[in-house]
Amino acid sequence: MRVRAIGNLAILAATVALSYGMQVTKPHYADLTAPVPIDGAMHDWVRARSFDVRLDKIVFAHTLKSDRFGTSKILTTSGVWAVVTTSLTATSTSTTVADGIWQGPTGLRYRVTERLGYRSDLPPHDVDPGLEKRGLYVFEVPADQIRGASLLIAARRFAPLDAQARIRLDAVPVGADGQPADILPEYDLDAPPAPGKT
Amino acid sequence: MFKTARSRFKAWLTAGAGTIAALFVAGLMGAFGALPAHAPPSLPADAATDAGRWRIEPVRAYVSHANVYGVPIKSGQKALVLEVDITNRTAQSDKAYFDVFKPEGIAFPDGKPMITLTRDSTLTPELHPGMAERMAYVWPLAADVAVPSSLSFAITAEIFKPRDNLYGVPGWYNPYRLGTITLAVGDHGGAG
Repeated sequence: MRVRAIGNLAILAATVALSYGMQVTKPHYADLTAPVPIDGAMHDWVRARSFDVRLDKIVFAHTLKSDRFGTSKILTTSGVWAVVTTSLTATSTSTTVADGIWQGPTGLRYRVTERLGYRSDLPPHDVDPGLEKRGLYVFEVPADQIRGASLLIAARRFAPLDAQARIRLDAVPVGADGQPADILPEYDLDAPPAPGKT
Repeated sequence: MFKTARSRFKAWLTAGAGTIAALFVAGLMGAFGALPAHAPPSLPADAATDAGRWRIEPVRAYVSHANVYGVPIKSGQKALVLEVDITNRTAQSDKAYFDVFKPEGIAFPDGKPMITLTRDSTLTPELHPGMAERMAYVWPLAADVAVPSSLSFAITAEIFKPRDNLYGVPGWYNPYRLGTITLAVGDHGGAG
């Protein structure tokens, strides 16, 4: 009789422990519906669900120059401008690639700048299968968020369970102080690309 | 006789314990609720204040009669302008700074202000984590509305919840009145 009572108690305790363990380790709803990460490196094609992306080049600059409606605008920043050039193509059907996030080494997320207004080479990028397209992502980031950062590119801003390309920016040359090795004083978004480069 | 009375009292007490506790708590809450409410504290105008997801530091407030930072002022109108240094304290780019400041004692025809980045007059851009920017809040007013020379701005902040109750996602919820900042209001003919 006593053995049986002890056995029942043990089963009860085990049930409580198991239930508690399941409760505290239950994944959050936000994690369950998070985008599906697809990791990649710079200069390699990263194949997401609806688009492929390749990071070609990153340029850092203190000021940006952009032409709009016949006038040119000089944009300053308290950090640095990071202009990321990518090649994009769709996998099976024409689509748009709209979201770009610069994720710093500590997880701070800098979304693409809204200060440039509309430009055809800024997101949202319309991409078609088989046609490679140049797409820019322009970020405003503090200089200490460059070493160890990664670039997150997704088709839409709120895209639960859709693919998100995560490109490690470990090939960016940075100096000992974490600053990029070369920061241009000014970058002209409308200057034609130098010959022989993409 | 006594035995039954005592047991009956015990039974009443046992059965009524919950009711007694509820009455007691309700009475206490009513008593505390009847106390005069605390006025929101006065915040320093010359130091940075953490207000929920923003760190704010007012720079100056003034009345402008001409266009200010690219915001057009119609004829017959003026504008109350508040310049403030804002830093995003969260981990991601955000633009939920529309309701942070509210001037007290002035009725505005179209409630919400126009908010521009003073750096290049961009209207309501997203602010990025840890990057302080100077923003101008511009409230258009009829030209004959009197603006006091010392004006209080109500500051609204929100609290961070690691998990909200509906979806379990982290976010900023429950706006509350953090306090007021009182600033001297100058009169500029055409600043900016």
